[in-house]
Amino acid sequence: MTTSSYAIELRQLRKSFGSVEVLKDVSLAARKGEVISLIGSSGSGKSTLLRCINLLENPTAGEILLNGETLLLRKGKSGLEAANRRQAERFRSKLGMVFQSFNLWQHMTVLQNVMEGPVRVLKRTKADVHKEAVALLERVGLGEKLYAYPSQMSGGQQQRAAIARALAMQPDVMLFDEPTSALDPELVGEVLQVIRALADEGRTMLLVTHEMRFAREVSDRVIYLHNGQIEEEGTPDQLFGNPKSDRCRTFVSSIHS
Amino acid sequence: MVWDWLPEYAPRFVEGISITLQLLGLSIFFGMMLAIPIGLVQVTGPWPLAWLARAFCTVIRGTPLLIQLWLIYYGLGSLFPFIPGIRESMFWPILRDAFPYAVFAFTLSVAGYEGEIMRGAFKGVPKGELEAARAIGMTPFQVLRRVWLPRALQNVFPTLAGEFILTLKATPLAATITVFEVYGIGTIVRQETYRIYEPLLFVAAIYVFLTICLVVFFRFLENRRALPRI
Repeated sequence: MTTSSYAIELRQLRKSFGSVEVLKDVSLAARKGEVISLIGSSGSGKSTLLRCINLLENPTAGEILLNGETLLLRKGKSGLEAANRRQAERFRSKLGMVFQSFNLWQHMTVLQNVMEGPVRVLKRTKADVHKEAVALLERVGLGEKLYAYPSQMSGGQQQRAAIARALAMQPDVMLFDEPTSALDPELVGEVLQVIRALADEGRTMLLVTHEMRFAREVSDRVIYLHNGQIEEEGTPDQLFGNPKSDRCRTFVSSIHS
Repeated sequence: MVWDWLPEYAPRFVEGISITLQLLGLSIFFGMMLAIPIGLVQVTGPWPLAWLARAFCTVIRGTPLLIQLWLIYYGLGSLFPFIPGIRESMFWPILRDAFPYAVFAFTLSVAGYEGEIMRGAFKGVPKGELEAARAIGMTPFQVLRRVWLPRALQNVFPTLAGEFILTLKATPLAATITVFEVYGIGTIVRQETYRIYEPLLFVAAIYVFLTICLVVFFRFLENRRALPRI
């Protein structure tokens, strides 16, 4: 296995839904500890890009590498599928995914949600995982909600629980798919605060977001996607302060106003 | 009203209740074992299996249980004796008895009705929760075992409980193939004592009692799920 300074690397990723090409030849690489924000108008393919990384969507072409290891793919009905299911499951266990709609398992308590992955997927003992799960939930401010069910919590609390669930797997890369888009405005802050703390501790993160100010503050690099292509990328100051492409400038200014 | 026959027949009714509950319990157990995959393949495919499952549900739900029971007991049951050597085999005591045929017929019935309910139940689980399970690295079987199935069952538990109570009240049909469950015992009492109404009333009371017990039992299960567990 080759060692790589990149935690995650995408090479010439393509994705079509039928005749519609959603991703056209997207390549990007995140160094370990790097925080990359993906921005762009809806339909630009940013969520699809994120979902292709852990094969929730099957890319049509391209390569995906995690810590220098290539994800083995083969042609299937809906595009490129995992050639080795175990490898794909191992990849997924190292990619912490946070969804727009939280997707907590409603039949489990918050604590059970967080413990499920480490116990079932990583095969660790419950006693071992329990302590860590409680600590994680305390860290995201849910120490009082261990035995609550998702339906009994606010959206912000659910999303923080979902972040704790992803963190419990001790992932190499965190993937955030519009984590605050489904939240009431007054609940956005508490979730961003948790994400910011993760960025500060040096986690590798890919963040699809509409929170431009937040993206500017936490990111090392920002990528602007348009029509399934990387239109522009750079440091937050570059991209927000002095965008080169017209489209990006229009997008950034429209969001800011 | 004359009730003097009751002490004499009480032990037989106890036996009858036991048979009724065995028939119900076994057919719910085996029926659900079939209903779960029958519901699942209709959602996941592959299409030949999905088609087969759908056809099965349609046939079972489209024909009276009484006819299924008779076809199985008088039809299937009458074929077995033609198999050479079967009367000497260890299976004969089972094949000779009516009870296993009743369990088989009721199992198919439960599978047909509940298979359809499970199809809807599997379909009704939010996709996002399944994606979250896959995204965390679960195998397809783990996704089913830990998230998909428990979520599906949780959604339709009250519906299933209602269906099982209906099944309880279909069990008297088994008396027509000489399975002496509660109603069967009742007919014996009527024939031997010439009392028409009292045994029927008594049988009805037993079914009410059993139904209440089941309702309480299912309610208990339902509430236990809803309570936070440590």
